[in-house]
Amino acid sequence: MALKIEKLSKAFGDLVAVNDVSFDVPAGQMIGIIGRSGAGKSTLLRMINRLADPTSGRILVEGVFDAPVDVAKLKGKRLRQWRAQCAMVFQQFNLVPRLTVMTNVLMARISYHPTLRSLLLLFTPKDRAFTIRALQRLDMVSHALHRADELSGGQQQRVAIARALVQEPKILLADEPIASLDLRNATIVMDALRRINREDGITVICNLHLLQTAKDYCDRIIGMRKGEIVFDGKPSDLSDAMAREIYGVGEHGAGEPADDDVELAFTATQTSTSAAAEPGHEKVAKVG
Amino acid sequence: MTSQLIEITEADIAEERARNPGAFAAPLRERMKAWMAWVAATALTLFCLHRFGFLSGDFLHGVAKFGDTVISQMFPPTGYESLGMFLKAIGETVAMALLGTLLGAVVALPLSFLAAKNMTRSRPIQFGTRRGADLLRSFDYLIWALIFVRAVGLGPLAGIMAIAIVEIGTFIKLYSEAIENLDRKQIDGVTSLGGNGMHRIWFGVLPQVLPMMLSNTLYMFEHNVRSASILGIVGAGGIGFLLGDRLRAYELREACLIIILVVLTVYAIDYLSKFLREQLIGDHKRREPIDDAVQV
Amino acid sequence: MVTNPNAGPDVSVARGVVARFEKQYAVYRRKKQVTMALFGGVFALCVIAALITTKFSLWTLVEGIPRASEFLARMLPPIRLGTFGQDFSAWYWGAGEWFNSLLNTLLMAYLATILGTLIGGAISFFAARNLAHNYLVYWIARRVLEIARTVPDIVWALLFVFAFGIGPVAGVLAITTHTLGAQGKLFAEVNENISPLPLDGIRASGGNWFHEMRFGVLPQVLPNYLSYTFWRFELNVRSATIVGFVGAGGIGHDLFTAVQLLYFADVGAILLIIVATIMAIDMLSEKIRHSAIGKASFSH
Ligand SMILES: Nc1ncnc2c1ncn2[C@@H]1O[C@H](COP(=O)(O)OP(=O)(O)OP(=O)(O)O)[C@@H](O)[C@H]1O
Ligand SMILES: [Mg+2]
Repeated sequence: MALKIEKLSKAFGDLVAVNDVSFDVPAGQMIGIIGRSGAGKSTLLRMINRLADPTSGRILVEGVFDAPVDVAKLKGKRLRQWRAQCAMVFQQFNLVPRLTVMTNVLMARISYHPTLRSLLLLFTPKDRAFTIRALQRLDMVSHALHRADELSGGQQQRVAIARALVQEPKILLADEPIASLDLRNATIVMDALRRINREDGITVICNLHLLQTAKDYCDRIIGMRKGEIVFDGKPSDLSDAMAREIYGVGEHGAGEPADDDVELAFTATQTSTSAAAEPGHEKVAKVG
Repeated sequence: MTSQLIEITEADIAEERARNPGAFAAPLRERMKAWMAWVAATALTLFCLHRFGFLSGDFLHGVAKFGDTVISQMFPPTGYESLGMFLKAIGETVAMALLGTLLGAVVALPLSFLAAKNMTRSRPIQFGTRRGADLLRSFDYLIWALIFVRAVGLGPLAGIMAIAIVEIGTFIKLYSEAIENLDRKQIDGVTSLGGNGMHRIWFGVLPQVLPMMLSNTLYMFEHNVRSASILGIVGAGGIGFLLGDRLRAYELREACLIIILVVLTVYAIDYLSKFLREQLIGDHKRREPIDDAVQV
Repeated sequence: MVTNPNAGPDVSVARGVVARFEKQYAVYRRKKQVTMALFGGVFALCVIAALITTKFSLWTLVEGIPRASEFLARMLPPIRLGTFGQDFSAWYWGAGEWFNSLLNTLLMAYLATILGTLIGGAISFFAARNLAHNYLVYWIARRVLEIARTVPDIVWALLFVFAFGIGPVAGVLAITTHTLGAQGKLFAEVNENISPLPLDGIRASGGNWFHEMRFGVLPQVLPNYLSYTFWRFELNVRSATIVGFVGAGGIGHDLFTAVQLLYFADVGAILLIIVATIMAIDMLSEKIRHSAIGKASFSH
């Protein structure tokens, strides 16, 4: 499967969240998208999965439907089929709190059955066995019958990844999957994503707040700034100067509000990552 | 490791089922329980439908009749020449609600202290007051109205009394619950300054519970405007008298006008009550479920 | 007022602050007093107006006391311990018919609760701002619920009696209509308070609108729905006791007739049945709410 993003834009009223973005995604790559808060990373991923509708541009997909398709124009059943092929993992896990882990993961199969059947939870034994296998890969089988809201954040994210796997997607999008997790869990989750990418050959696009995480795990880094792509290349090609530009350092005049995300972005994996994800930091911090 | 659904064999399924039976089906007992609950509820529903004749042709006939001889006879509403009389009756309705609520609140206030566990040491008195309140509440306004019409005659007085009686019950319950939830420390403070029982209530209890009581009282006023609007159907004054009269005389267009007026009044009172709550006690927070259930 | 005696050199500054505070506080209090006086005045005027409008007279009330007590006395016929059995069965001469009416009353409340909750629950998904995608649909749903709820159930009963004749069908429909309005509104509010995150999760894995509602919304709202429904049943039993006043079935019909015919002993007997039933239902429902369902699915 290959993805080709062409001149993709998204505007919320006057605010252009994603501006004329183009890039190619060959099969099997693991891509990290970095950028400061508000750069448009989430919006970009949500457009690819079509949780958000693009204002303009094309998302061409090859190797999923019988012919190449512009996902940006899909509707109805075909759109849902695309979403099933394009799994998504969220910062807040987005599990259904009161349902069991098992049911949460089984929900990945809803698009493979007639609506009525899936509404009644009539999944096949095969689905169930597959679900257990997926939970096994993420070391979560022992929690299969627990309610999702009884789990820790790290465990919930592993369940969410298992759900993504059970979808049997061609591509997996992860929107800051570790921003709500502590360091240990963050490592477990990133390792799992990496393994899925390697072992199953699933393309992974992962929004990351921290430069270091992206460098550690990804084959390719895309740097976004104010809705535009300012860097696209191998991690080793990403210079410090470039990183500074992505995170918008050194641009602020004296006394102008700046961004203390940046400090965190560079100290990367040493600190808990969640602090950096707080929007609004830039309003309080000043560059000395 | 298997990474594709298609690779899962029957053997794999059997293996996983043996290891995690709970993941394939809930335990039989639980499934039975759920099934039985569903079956019982459905059976009872069907039994009721059958018993009351919903499943007969008469019912469909009634539906048709409701469409073309009731609803279509209601529109457009008429009777504007009687508007003055209607509005006066609506004024009487609101007045009934106001006086009934006020009377209920005034009587319930002292009694609610008797019904509060932390204010009354004697269990029989406390429990008896609570049960008495439940007793008053268990009859609908209309039942009380029906009885009071016999006692004090036709007219708004019977309606006021009906509302007051039910509200005594409701307010004793609501007030005493508010009193039971209050903060001990403030009362102890008054006691430590040498206050007696009256002082404790006046300085320690009332300031804490008053906003809550006021808010509840306003809710009930709002609710009672609705109740008062129908009490006239059994002769207890207010717009309900005219409404019942027009409906019984099959003057559906005029009845429709009255219904519209009642609905508008209810809306107006709701807004007024919301406004007052905000002004008097800054009660911006969401309604508690209890308020909602009482209210609608 | 609250100056610190140990404040030292800053004492004068502190005094200034305190003085300013006191001044502002006095202004604030003054304003509050004026507001309260204003509200009090308007309130007093309203009460006076109400007294005049309703021609409220304590005298009529006092006059009514002997009549009411006589009423009460006649509602409770003499029951002697010696002949308790006979006296009691004489009082409850109509027991067979009354208990049949009572059964009808309870079944009417049950059926109306089920039907009203189902319909209201279905509408509530369209009446929740976060779930309805079409504003027109949302607006219509809201108005339907509003009308169903605001028109009193007894008025609905009067209207339904025209079409369906005297009997419980009209009562069930009347209570159903009111219930669907009330439940629909409450449920819509519950729906509006859910977390949207699971919905995104389901949509992102290819679910359609029905999947979102069934798996994303329903598990979140069901516990609240259930407790509201039990509550509604309690309220509906009360409603079912009165719709009979206008011919819509249930024990209210027997009560109304007894009052009209001045059969006081019957009135007393029926009221006793109603009170016992309502108290039993309230207790039972409370127990169910707090125990079984309480632990199983209401824990957050
Ligand atoms: N639904 C929306 N309505 C209006 N504006 C939005 C919406 N979603 C995002 N935006 C705006 O679009 C811009 C990009 O948002 P986006 O969430 O894509 O940024 P991000 O790079 O993911 O940031 P973060 O790191 O904080 O998650 C922001 O300015 C945001 O305020
Ligand atoms: Mg984001």
